[in-house]
Amino acid sequence: MQTSSSLSSSSSDSKPQMKEHCDHQVDCLKMIQLILDGEATDQQLARLKANLVSCQPCIQMYHLEQEVKELLTKRMEKKCCPEQLVATIKSKILTFS
Amino acid sequence: MSDTPTRDDQDRTGMPDHGMPDHGGPSGPDHLLPDGGPVDQPSADTPARRYTDEQKYQVFNKEFMPHIDSMYNFAFRLTTDEDDANDLVQDTYLKAFRFISSFEQGTNAKAWLFRILKNSFINDYRKKSKEPAKVDYQDVETTYNSEDAESEHTVDLRAESVSDLIGDEVATALNSLPVDFRTVIILCDIEGFTYEEMAKILDIPIGTVRSRLHRARNLLKEKLRDYASSMGYNEESEE
Ligand SMILES: [Zn+2]
Repeated sequence: MQTSSSLSSSSSDSKPQMKEHCDHQVDCLKMIQLILDGEATDQQLARLKANLVSCQPCIQMYHLEQEVKELLTKRMEKKCCPEQLVATIKSKILTFS
Repeated sequence: MSDTPTRDDQDRTGMPDHGMPDHGGPSGPDHLLPDGGPVDQPSADTPARRYTDEQKYQVFNKEFMPHIDSMYNFAFRLTTDEDDANDLVQDTYLKAFRFISSFEQGTNAKAWLFRILKNSFINDYRKKSKEPAKVDYQDVETTYNSEDAESEHTVDLRAESVSDLIGDEVATALNSLPVDFRTVIILCDIEGFTYEEMAKILDIPIGTVRSRLHRARNLLKEKLRDYASSMGYNEESEE
């Protein structure tokens, strides 16, 4: 599949056995989320890197989490505050002091 | 900063009543309060700033106003209603001004403001919301907060299955989540707060932030999966 090729390109020749089943999928998922949130330790980062060349479920989870984050950040509209409200707030605080 | 009257005179100028807003007071968000602890005493542990009136307006305009679009977006995602978002943002900014002496210049204004908005939402809006809150925070906590295997799982879904969803569909899926799950996703993924900042905004331990996010994302993925399959975006069409 095309999605994993970029991540495992360095190993295309030797082809380490790719796990089709992950024994600690929930823990792996939690780690992936920490990494994408920028909250992971170096140790966790290293472990994920290893998983991304050897564990098919981890690769898929990684892509999915990344995709969902992108849907939220890039596709959803960001509402801007109406000008009218900005003006109202500014005028209201002037009457405070 | 040292020649202003008493703290009381300053803090309470212009306040309609003496009490702090119910859990709406922006006590220093830099102080991580214990879960469920009192959060409504702005100056109990944070020394009040003695801002002059001029300084107050300066802080307000330079540190608070730049976040107004993010605040509005947050309010809109919480209330899913433009009028409610308007009211919520206005209330929050007026509260922020009223309690400006408990804000320390140069600290994290965005987190401080988000915390006030979140508290105002819980205390004022969820009660009088047109559609009564679908799920109560408390219910959610007891239903999902146990560390049981049932709530910890992975969702069987491929990235390709959801990659064609449009913004409105993602928003609908997000809106269908119970509000405190929606909240952590907004704060983390949309606003980019760190776990530590989120813990302070939400008054919960970091461990709870982490597990709530994990559950929120599982729920969101389930919604996205439902959406994608009902829209006919499925793996077959990708191959
Ligand atoms: Zn794995």
